[in-house]
Parts: sequence; C-alpha cells; structure tokens
Amino acid sequence: MNESSNLVLCVDDEQIGLRVRKILLERAGYRVLTAQDGRSALEIFSVEPVEAVVLDYSMPGMDGGEVAVKMRESKPDVPILLLSAYLDLPPEVTSLVALYMTKGEGAPALLTNLNNLLQPVSASQ
Amino acid sequence: MNLSQFNKILRQVFLLPVLALLVVAGALYLQIRGANATVNLIQDADARISQATLVAKLVADEESGLRGYETTGDLRFLQPFTDAESQLQHEIANLDSIAGSDAEQRRDVVDMRSELQTWHDGFALPVIATVRGGGKTDAVDLNLHGKQLMDEVRQDLGDITQKAEQSRTRRIELWHRQVHTMLMVLLGLALVVGVLIGLFTRNRLHAVSAAYRLSLEVLGRRAEELYRSEQQLRTTLDSIADGVITCDAKGRIQMMNPVARELTGWGLTDANGQPLEKVFCIINEVSREPIETPVAKVKRLDRVVGIANHTTLIRKDGTELSIADSGAPLRDQKGEITGIVLVFRDITMERKTQEALIANEKLAVAGRLAATIAHEIHNPLDSVSNLLYLMRHGATAEEQAQFMDMAEQELMRVTQISRAMLGLYRESKAPVVVDLKGMLQEILLLLERRLAELEVTATTQIPSTISVAAFPAELRQVFTNLITNAAEAAGPGGEVKISIAPQTDGVDGAGQKLAPGAVVTIADDGPGIAEEVRPHLFQPFFTTKGERGTGLGLWVSRGIINKHGGTLTLESDANNSAHGTVARVFLATNPVINAGGD
Repeated sequence: MNESSNLVLCVDDEQIGLRVRKILLERAGYRVLTAQDGRSALEIFSVEPVEAVVLDYSMPGMDGGEVAVKMRESKPDVPILLLSAYLDLPPEVTSLVALYMTKGEGAPALLTNLNNLLQPVSASQ
Repeated sequence: MNLSQFNKILRQVFLLPVLALLVVAGALYLQIRGANATVNLIQDADARISQATLVAKLVADEESGLRGYETTGDLRFLQPFTDAESQLQHEIANLDSIAGSDAEQRRDVVDMRSELQTWHDGFALPVIATVRGGGKTDAVDLNLHGKQLMDEVRQDLGDITQKAEQSRTRRIELWHRQVHTMLMVLLGLALVVGVLIGLFTRNRLHAVSAAYRLSLEVLGRRAEELYRSEQQLRTTLDSIADGVITCDAKGRIQMMNPVARELTGWGLTDANGQPLEKVFCIINEVSREPIETPVAKVKRLDRVVGIANHTTLIRKDGTELSIADSGAPLRDQKGEITGIVLVFRDITMERKTQEALIANEKLAVAGRLAATIAHEIHNPLDSVSNLLYLMRHGATAEEQAQFMDMAEQELMRVTQISRAMLGLYRESKAPVVVDLKGMLQEILLLLERRLAELEVTATTQIPSTISVAAFPAELRQVFTNLITNAAEAAGPGGEVKISIAPQTDGVDGAGQKLAPGAVVTIADDGPGIAEEVRPHLFQPFFTTKGERGTGLGLWVSRGIINKHGGTLTLESDANNSAHGTVARVFLATNPVINAGGD
C-alpha cells in the first residue's frame, strides 16, 4: 500500500460482499475505505481524498442514487462506479454516475472498469 | 260525492214529491171543505123551500076546510081545518128553526105567523062560531076581509119561498165558483209543484250524474294508471339483467322474466304452474347436495333471504350455471304471505373473473418480490464469484479457508431465499400442517431487503411452535401481503411487530364460540388508516397505494383466510398518541376448509 496507489471508497450494506470487495481491490493495488450506508459514506467522502467510489445502489436509508447526487454536488470530478444487484436502474440514476455495472459480472470486469476510470484522470468524465 | 251524500240526494228526491203532494192535498181539503159548506147551505135553502111549501099547503087546507064548513055547516068539512090547525104551529116553528136563515127571513116568518094568527083569530074562529050558532057568514065584506088576510099570508109565504130560492140560486152560483176556483188552484198548484219537483229532481240528478261521471273518470284514470304501472313493472322485469321468478304461496310458478327463462332453460308456458323445485333446481356446487329453495326458506324464516354462495343451477337441458340468488316474501295487507319473488343471476363469469383475479394477485405478490429476491440472490453470488477469483489468484491456505467459509455462508443464504421463494408458490391439494413460526421467519427473510429499503425494523414475538392445518402457499401470500402493508404504513424508522398467540377454545365476551387455534398479529406504528377509508379496505380494486397497488391484496387475503375458516380483521387508530394499525388473523388448528373460498 504505497502513497501513490489510488484511494477508493467502497459503499455497500452487504457485510460479506463489502469485505470481499475490499480484499479484491486491495489485492489489485488500491487503497480501500469502506462504508456500510450512505450517510457514513458521505462523511468519509468529504474528509478523505477519495479518487473513485464503488457504490452499491440498494441500501437502507439512502440509496446509491441519492448518495451519488450528494457526492456530485461536493466533488463532481471524482468518478463513481455504480454497482447494483438490480438489472434495470432508471436512466436518471445511471446518468449521475461515470459507469454503471451489475453485480455478478465478475471480478475482472470490476477491476478493468475501475482501472479505466482512474487511468485517464482528466478524460474520465 | 261519497255514499252518504248520494243517500241524502235519494232521500231528498223521495221526500220532496211526498211533501208537495201533502201540500196539494191540504189545499184540496180546504177547498172541498168550503164547497161542502156551500152545499150544506143549498140543502138548508131546499129544506126551507119544502117547509114553506108544506106550510102553504096546510094554510090552504085550513082555508078550504073553513070554506067547506062555511058553505055546508057540516062539521066534517071542518076536519081539514082542525088537522092543519094542529100541525101548523109546529111546522111554522120548524120553518123558523131551519138553519142558515137571515134576519129578514126570520122577520118574514114572524110576519106570516102573526098574519095567519090574525086570519085565524079575526076571521076563521068568528066564522066557525057564527056557523055553529047557525048564523050567516056569506056577507061579501066579511069574506073579502078574510080573503085579504089570507092573501097577506100567501104573500108572506110566497116571499119566504122566493127568498129561499134566491138564496139557493146564489149559493149554487157560489158553489160553482168555488169548484172553479178549486180546479184552478189545483191546476196551478199541480203545475207549480210539478215544475218545482222537476227542477229540483233535475238539479239533484245532475249532481248525481256529475258525481257518477267523475267516478267513471277517476276509475278510468285509475285503470289506466294501473295498466301503465303494470306495464312499467313488466318492462322493468323484462329488461333487468337478473332472473326474476314469482310464485304463489304454495311455490307454484306464476311469472318468469326472459332472463329467468333463459337461465333455467324453461319456457313460460312449460313452467307456468309448475312447482318451483322442478324449474329452479339448485344444488351446492361443492357437495352436490340439493339446496333448500329460497321459497321454502322464505316461508320457513318469514323474511327476505339473502344470496347463497356456491349455488349451482341445473338447467332444463342438464347444463349447469353458478348462480347467486335471493328470495323475498310478497304479502297482502294483513301481512300474510301470498307469494314469493325470487331473484337470481348467472355468476359463472363473475366466479371465473374472481378466480382469475385471485390467481393474478398471487402472481403479483410473487412478482413484486421477484426484484428484491433477485437482488438477494445476486449479492451473495457476486461475493462468491469474487471469492473464487481471489482463491484462483493466489491466496494463502489460511485465506483459502476463510474465503471458503464466507462463500459457504453466502451460498446458504441463497438456498434459504430460493426455498422461501418456492414456498410462496407451492401448490397443495389438501391442507397440511403448517408451522407458523417457521413460515413467518421465511417470509421475513424474503422481505428483509424490502424492509431494509423501507428502513423498517421487524420484531417478532413467537413464544413456541404453533401449527395449524392450512394451504401453506396461500397463507404465505396472506402474511407477505400483511407484513408488506404494515412495513409500507410504518415508513422510515417505523416498526412492525409480529406475534403469534395460541387461542384455546371457549367463549368470547360477545358469547361467540371460539375454536382452538392461533392468532397472528401484525402491528405497525404508522399513521393509521383514515376513518373514511376503513369501510373500503376489503373491497376489490380499492387501493391507497396508487400505481403501486392492485387493490386486491386485502380482498384476496380475507378470501383466503375465510376459506381457511378463519378471520382477518383490521383495527386502526389514527390518533396522535397511539397511532398505528393492527391486523389480526385467526386460524383454527383443525379448520373446516370452506372449499369455495369466500
């Protein structure tokens, strides 16, 4: 975990899923922060220099769409990868984020997508 | 005009002529009495004339007797004189006493009597004495004097007779006038009375005739109204979509409307007078046992009987229809049953629609859950897939064991969810013993995500295992529906409390017999249901959820619980302090399953 690796914030209410995703991303060389709900995710997002967010959609209290809106308001440049178990999210939600993918597409797809979002930092929008 | 007025007129028309005739008779009587009095006076005059004649004859006898004696001196010739002499005083008194004589006539009689006395005393007696003494009485002067005296008597008698005759003539004239007047009066009276009676009778008969005409008009109008009303009823009966049969008190058919004829398959002419059971043959659709006809039921209970469920009508050709029927007694003014009217309709399509709706709701419950369930399956699958990736890309033995544990946990979760999902849709032909505790836990597992999304906490209070005989898939549907409703009502931060309590048999406060079983209570702390909404909760297609609801949930749930011989009730409190809604489901341990549903 060196200072140069990207800091990623993972948000998911599924405990095991979140733990596994954190291990996966860390193995891929990212520094990972985790949050189990929208409110704590926004707190971390505001204080930490997060470079990308892997966001679950369905969460109690505040769903991924609402969290994405708030993140966009404060740091519009940070790319958000929306990850959901639902297949068809409405366009007003998917248009808020840099990339939308469904759970179950597999670890390689997640890693590739996240990498793509982070490499061309300026062109990621 | 009523009957008493009519009778009054009859009396008037009878009495008036009688009264008028009495008046005429009275007038006639007065006239006749007057005429009779005149006739009496005429008779008096006749008597006077004949009495005067008698007196004149006696005077003549006296005179001729005297003359004979004077001539012969023989006493025998004097006999008429003495005979007349003895009678005369008496007859003159008679003449004087005849009624109706006036003062002049009396004076004439007095004059005549005194003149006769003068003749008798001054001439007759001296002549008789002279003859008896043998003297001569043939002196002319003497006899002339006698003749003069006698002429005066004759003159008086003549006057008396003449006056009596004049009086008689006058009275006869009077009588004639009276009779004439009487005739005139009678004629006049008859005319006046006749005209009066005629006018009066005409007037009264006009009143009667007007009243009669009015009665006829009213009767005509009534008849027309009656006809119209009957036509209206007939048309109404012919055009309504329900079958209508009317029977007499003995249950024989009197009338069937076209729908009834079509539904039963019987023509009006075939069915008329037939006993109802023959034409309207109904059986219970489940047990196939004949059902008591509404007619028998109405007669037995003496009131309107409602719609019976699950009734099958066997038509004349043997085909069957599901019907709903009701019967009502027809009563006369004394309240005696004079007939029965039976109303029924074909609910075959309705039943099929209902069944389709129930099936649809079953799918909708599963469908609404499908998304959250897919999500619940997707999440662990994602974790497992990630874990496999990690294991494949180099993990330590310790990590391998940890990852496998995690993968196992996630797969177990998938299995649980898919089992619960299957349970929701598993069909069973007969009721099986269901563990309510296990069932509710499975349902909560399926709803976990939904509850989390709604930020609702569910707490359970299930003391021990309670089992009832039931159709599990259907019960799952009911509880899923009730818990979802409660969670949606509770809203973010709300709480849903689910509890099960056993119920022992006994009698409740209202005296209702309680069967042993279980009461499942699902309570939320939401805002409660508005009072105006509560009566509609169990109606199909009633929803407070707009697009998100089908409006069938509670309707189907109650149907399922009723089919299980149980009850589903909702109590809601919209007050500020203790708001919320409580759904209570009672299920009997060994229910009598009501196969038809509701």
